[in-house]
Amino acid sequence: MTVTVDWYLILAAVLFVIGAAGLLVRRNAIVMFMSIELMLNAVNLTFVSVGRELRDLTGQFAVFFVLVVAAAEVVVGLAIIVSIFRTRATASVDELSEMKG
Amino acid sequence: MNLADYLPIAIMLLLVIVFAGASIGLGNLLGPRRPTPEKLAPYECGIVPELEPSQRFPVKFYLVAMLFVIFDIEIIFLFAWAVRFRELGWFGLAAVGIFTALVIETLGYVWKRGALDWNIPRRARYRLSHDVADEEAA
Amino acid sequence: MAPDIDYLALAPEITLAVTAVVVLLLDLFLPRRQKYWTAIVAVLGVSFAALPLIALAVSDVGDRAMLGGSFVVDDFALVLKGLFVIAGYLVLLMSVGYVESDRYYQGEYYFLLLMSILGSMVLASSRDLITLFIAVELVSQPMYLLAGWRKGDLRSNEASLKYFLLGVLASALLLYGMSFVYGLTGELTFAGIAAEGAGKAGEPAFIMAILFIIAGFGFKVSAVPFHFWAPDTYEGAPTPVAAYLSVSSKAAGFVALLVVLYSAFPDASGVWGPAVWILAALSMTLANLTALRQTNIVRLLAYSSVAQAGFMLVPFAAAATTDAVGLGEAFAATVTYIVIYAFMNLGAFAVVIAGARKTGTGDIEGWGGLGSYAPALGALAAVFFFSLAGIPPLAGWIAKLVMFGAAMGAGSPWMIALAVIAAINAVIALVYYARVVKTIWMDPVPATAPEEEVRTASVAGSLGLAIGLSAAVVVVAGFFPSLVTFFSDATKVLAGG
Repeated sequence: MTVTVDWYLILAAVLFVIGAAGLLVRRNAIVMFMSIELMLNAVNLTFVSVGRELRDLTGQFAVFFVLVVAAAEVVVGLAIIVSIFRTRATASVDELSEMKG
Repeated sequence: MNLADYLPIAIMLLLVIVFAGASIGLGNLLGPRRPTPEKLAPYECGIVPELEPSQRFPVKFYLVAMLFVIFDIEIIFLFAWAVRFRELGWFGLAAVGIFTALVIETLGYVWKRGALDWNIPRRARYRLSHDVADEEAA
Repeated sequence: MAPDIDYLALAPEITLAVTAVVVLLLDLFLPRRQKYWTAIVAVLGVSFAALPLIALAVSDVGDRAMLGGSFVVDDFALVLKGLFVIAGYLVLLMSVGYVESDRYYQGEYYFLLLMSILGSMVLASSRDLITLFIAVELVSQPMYLLAGWRKGDLRSNEASLKYFLLGVLASALLLYGMSFVYGLTGELTFAGIAAEGAGKAGEPAFIMAILFIIAGFGFKVSAVPFHFWAPDTYEGAPTPVAAYLSVSSKAAGFVALLVVLYSAFPDASGVWGPAVWILAALSMTLANLTALRQTNIVRLLAYSSVAQAGFMLVPFAAAATTDAVGLGEAFAATVTYIVIYAFMNLGAFAVVIAGARKTGTGDIEGWGGLGSYAPALGALAAVFFFSLAGIPPLAGWIAKLVMFGAAMGAGSPWMIALAVIAAINAVIALVYYARVVKTIWMDPVPATAPEEEVRTASVAGSLGLAIGLSAAVVVVAGFFPSLVTFFSDATKVLAGG
């Protein structure tokens, strides 16, 4: 049994769905972050495996940029969480509901 | 190896999922639910919890993690340049030079703001001399 | 081997990037009393970035493409870059007094704002998926931080976190769609995707990819049902940041959507046309109905901006059903709407900043009698709100007119239905816009209003300049629509019209 590109794409799809579900279901901001990372890495996996299938380097090239953007995203997100921690000691999104409408 | 060899495992897996799902699902569905504050409190060996276990790590750790992530990932651009260093020539060197200068500028910024100091005083000193927002609090 | 780089074409971006770095360094070394220099440098930098744009516009070289067609400076890019520079300039002017008076970290504020403007400039030129993605992120990420700029205020924190989580979800959807497009066509440049994807419009994976990309940008332009973050974020963020979000950030999302749909997926209009139709109808209707119930002026503007996004999407939907000429018309209609909307919405937000300072509240009720003690501000508020409602002879009327023109020009029953929905919504919108103006001019001054000297205190100079400039454009463009349509017609190059 050989592992074809389809397997990687299915794995990526599963990771993406797990990440999306985690983001929608979980209420802890840090767990939501981890879900986001999972989604972005699913994208990376798709790019790399498709790029290999096409014998094309552009896919890997795209992953470079996605990785860097993902890192920046994590830092921005952590900064926001830290500032919430300082104002109120919680990481739960549900407790943040000052505004309704 | 044949896929059919995995059949018993797949059946087993299915049974496990059905059984576990049914037990939890039925329990939730049929069991009465009368929450009291005592029941909802986290279980700590019977002792009534006194503090909210919210801040497990000092914020300092987050700061270090953030700085690490951001400086760590810069390497991949240098790597891409390094493997084709000769072909890219002076243009590549200049581009990477500008890139590195920006990274160093960021490092200098972080340093001056006192974010690299494990102890808070230096950051506080920067805020005292630069941040107007604390003026009211003082 | 050095790639061929046209430095004049890159000059606006280089100017902004250098300015941002200078601002950051200045902030580090200036003592606290002299931090206002960062604002001056930022405003100067944005102004200087406009100079190469003019040089590029009058040069007769034509389109400048570089880096394998990934970065193109054509008339479309120039017009939108001009808009981003002017909008950025106005937001900077609004910020100066606001940031100073509320004691924020000034240097970083301007640095992040400049970075976001830089991102929108790159966005207008990007012609491949990766450049586009980087640009979109460069627009959004500084905004996540700026939304939470009032660090001690829980509402600002909440604004920031909501915007961040939904924004990142949008980026992930967008990227996943992009990775599928790459997988199906093997290309990342728009031209390549259009060529390779010509026969693939019916493939399920291709349809899914396009829908993912539309959903991703739907969050960025805050179209219903991807709009949840907008009202909370606008309310909690500092008001100049909300103004930027509702204008530049939204326009950036629209530019990205325009470029991707028209130049990368021209043959798949059967896929994105109906999707955009639904987004437009939902955005207009739901946002307008919710706006009717709002009591806070910023939330009202937030829902109004969601509804306006719906109006802007109408020509998009029309473009899917017409020929090449109609495509060009629809394209120009969207750009016209974006340009006019930018000025009237920036003006409205600037008036809100000034009004909130005078009345001490963001509740519409507290604004009663503003017209009696601040007649100039009250009159300008009327100008911007009536323009948003689309009342002639103000510029918002032209925007509505070209939008309806594009929808009726397409002529299909579906488009006429959408035009009818838009017309009903224009009437609903008039109700809540007029209610604000009525409160300002006809209601008595509420007992909770601050004392006389606060109410009659003069508006900060830079904020007044921002209001004046926006008002001038809104009024003059209403009488001379060719001022705007001249530019939006130039952008048809992208649609091949």
